[in-house]
Amino acid sequence: MKDAPVFDQPPNRGVRPLIHRAPAGLKLGVALALAAGTAVVPVTWLWWHAAVAALLLTIVFMAKIRWRPLGARLLWFSPFVAGAALASALQGPAGPGWRAVALRGSLCLLTMLLLGATTSFSALLVVLHRIRVPALLVTTLALMYRYLHLLSDEAQRMNRARACRTFTPSRRRTWLISGEVIGRLFVRASERAERIYLAMAARGWS
Amino acid sequence: MHIPDGFLDAKTAAVAAVFSAAGLSGALYQLRRELPPRRVPLLGLGAAFVFAAQMVNFPVAGGTSGHLVGGALIAALLGTPAAVVVVSTVLIAQCFLFADGGVTALGANVFNMAIVAPVVGMAVYRVVQRLIPGLRGQVAALAFAGWCSAVAAAIVCAGQLAWSGTVAWSVAFPAMAGIHMLIGLGEGAISALVFYAVARTRPDIVASRPAGSLRGFLGYGLLATLGVALFAAPFACPWPDGLDAVAAKLGFARRAAESNWAWMAGYRLPGLGSGGAATALAGAIGALVAFGLAVLLSRLLVRTPAEAAKPAVDR
Amino acid sequence: MKPAIEISHLDYHYPDGTPALCDISFAIAPGECVGLLGPNGSGKSTLLLHLNGILPEKPAGGGAVRINGEAVAAHNLGAIRRQVGLLFQDPDDQLFGSTVAEDVAFGPSQLGLVPETVSERVQSALARVGLTDHAHRPPHHLSQGEKRRACLAGVLACEPTLLALDEPTSGLDPRGRREFKALLREVAGTKLVATHDLELVVELCPRSIVLDGGRVVADGPTVELLNNEALMLAHGLERPHILRHIHPHPSLAAEPPMRSDGGENFRPVS
Repeated sequence: MKDAPVFDQPPNRGVRPLIHRAPAGLKLGVALALAAGTAVVPVTWLWWHAAVAALLLTIVFMAKIRWRPLGARLLWFSPFVAGAALASALQGPAGPGWRAVALRGSLCLLTMLLLGATTSFSALLVVLHRIRVPALLVTTLALMYRYLHLLSDEAQRMNRARACRTFTPSRRRTWLISGEVIGRLFVRASERAERIYLAMAARGWS
Repeated sequence: MHIPDGFLDAKTAAVAAVFSAAGLSGALYQLRRELPPRRVPLLGLGAAFVFAAQMVNFPVAGGTSGHLVGGALIAALLGTPAAVVVVSTVLIAQCFLFADGGVTALGANVFNMAIVAPVVGMAVYRVVQRLIPGLRGQVAALAFAGWCSAVAAAIVCAGQLAWSGTVAWSVAFPAMAGIHMLIGLGEGAISALVFYAVARTRPDIVASRPAGSLRGFLGYGLLATLGVALFAAPFACPWPDGLDAVAAKLGFARRAAESNWAWMAGYRLPGLGSGGAATALAGAIGALVAFGLAVLLSRLLVRTPAEAAKPAVDR
Repeated sequence: MKPAIEISHLDYHYPDGTPALCDISFAIAPGECVGLLGPNGSGKSTLLLHLNGILPEKPAGGGAVRINGEAVAAHNLGAIRRQVGLLFQDPDDQLFGSTVAEDVAFGPSQLGLVPETVSERVQSALARVGLTDHAHRPPHHLSQGEKRRACLAGVLACEPTLLALDEPTSGLDPRGRREFKALLREVAGTKLVATHDLELVVELCPRSIVLDGGRVVADGPTVELLNNEALMLAHGLERPHILRHIHPHPSLAAEPPMRSDGGENFRPVS
């Protein structure tokens, strides 16, 4: 699994670019429209793909997004392209062909990466709340986002503490230990969930 | 198993989205009625837990390592509707935060990993747990359930790819099912290890899992079955000739693939006649092996007979 | 005048039957700042959770706990929780919002206030704790000291009359501790501070209550209690160093209190 999102923080250089300050709902809507459109239009409509690519690259430039992490993340997509190419080769001329898949997939991926880079997750949650997504789901998303880093830090600390006392590493022992670490992580998460409920109740939630 | 954008066509993505929206809404509705306010933060923390747990590496061979996916495990720990919501949350976040899994494929990914996987896992868990008593039974049940959930999700995923015409069934099915029959062993083993660790230190947490209404569970089961039937069954039908004709009329890619690359259509044990029977046999053998390994694991983990006799939860 | 907190013969058992609190009785007048001391497991946190009705799980309303004269019962939990601000031991449990501002707004919005008022309360609370610049940061980017201040802001935004704090300075570096101590000094109202930080208690709380094994073993002027070495050692505590070098009955005004201006500089208040 990859590291924490590279794009978690907006660029701190001076005034935040216009894109970052645009309303989250608008950005979400545009991103979804672009992705959905790109996924369904026929591959032969090259003008669509070219226009979308141009728009995305403009946004990258205007929003001052760093190239390198973006490019690195796009490369993650290559195994899928390779898989599609292999499948295409095996199944013959019928089917959309790996190039189409690669093009569409990359454009949609870039769209979502840019959305993540220019919009904070909390802003997206507010949008979800406004469009009447059930409160339980929004709360779950919010709490997950809030405690994600905490829990992964806890998991890392537990792993490190165990590693300090592991003198003869073996695969079997690593599996047992990792299983225990995840188990303890769940117990801690449940206990913390209980305490969070108390803290919410203490401030009037019911 | 996160399907990226561009791999599914409009109809498949739309149908999958409808199915998963239905399943997720049902789960939310059920939780709103049954979940006490005390346990609401547990959903969010459960999702954060699944995320964090997926980052822990389990070395396999050479430099590669596997990791937990968690559908069956979280269903065993929190109940089916909670598992549906928790895994959906993780998938939504992965899609928007990490661009892991396409946004147009979100419906399909949610259906495969947040509905099929936990439901199949839970169904298997409940059945096997009744067969073998005690904690050993629960551990074995979860190990096998983890395997089944991985394979089931993979099969439905293959069906979706085939229905979109992106990858032919004869390529997708053996590839996905085959790989996940192996990956599923890891998933089952890790799920069992984690469950055992939790049950040993805090059996009360396991015991406080909600019983879950049978009607609700049947609802998910029905939804999952419909989805499997829609996405996978047409391809797995044991009467390929009739379906071939239909497929040819509707322009599916499968027909061309079958004739050229029949040798690739995986699970054909030599010497057996019909392809369908061979596939079913291969699958059954795989499942038996997985089940045997699950029982073996439970015996290795739960050593003391005293421990084995009493379950972590009295259900 | 009605006591701000009045506990009369409070008993509590954990769900598994272990006794946690035995026959606790004391009263705290409005405006008092009282330290709650005791070894680990003495029941300090459990006692604090009784102040706003989180414990017992089903408040019977028998009058064992009274806040501003009103008995804590199942039917008036909302009103009680408006008056009692509780700061939990682990700031990560309490800071559950996606950003600092959102978290501080939680309490006021639960009170049913209109968005403008909520916003005002958030801004003033953040200003009081010095976190105005951090309003839109996610909690996991804050330092431990900043998290504690954010928790305090979240509680202050509800404008309680009474503050109950559970280990407010644990895990803080010396600067964080100084800043938090200065903040607490400025907050008006009744305060009950459960802590191991004996020096904090000497500096902030004229009166202290010592708990051990769920019972009140001492209740009196802080300096007197903490100078009593035998008492301290008998209950898992000790005489703090700050008292070793000062005459047993110091006048605290002899040493001017220090106030932080939010940065590195400390200037005596004069």
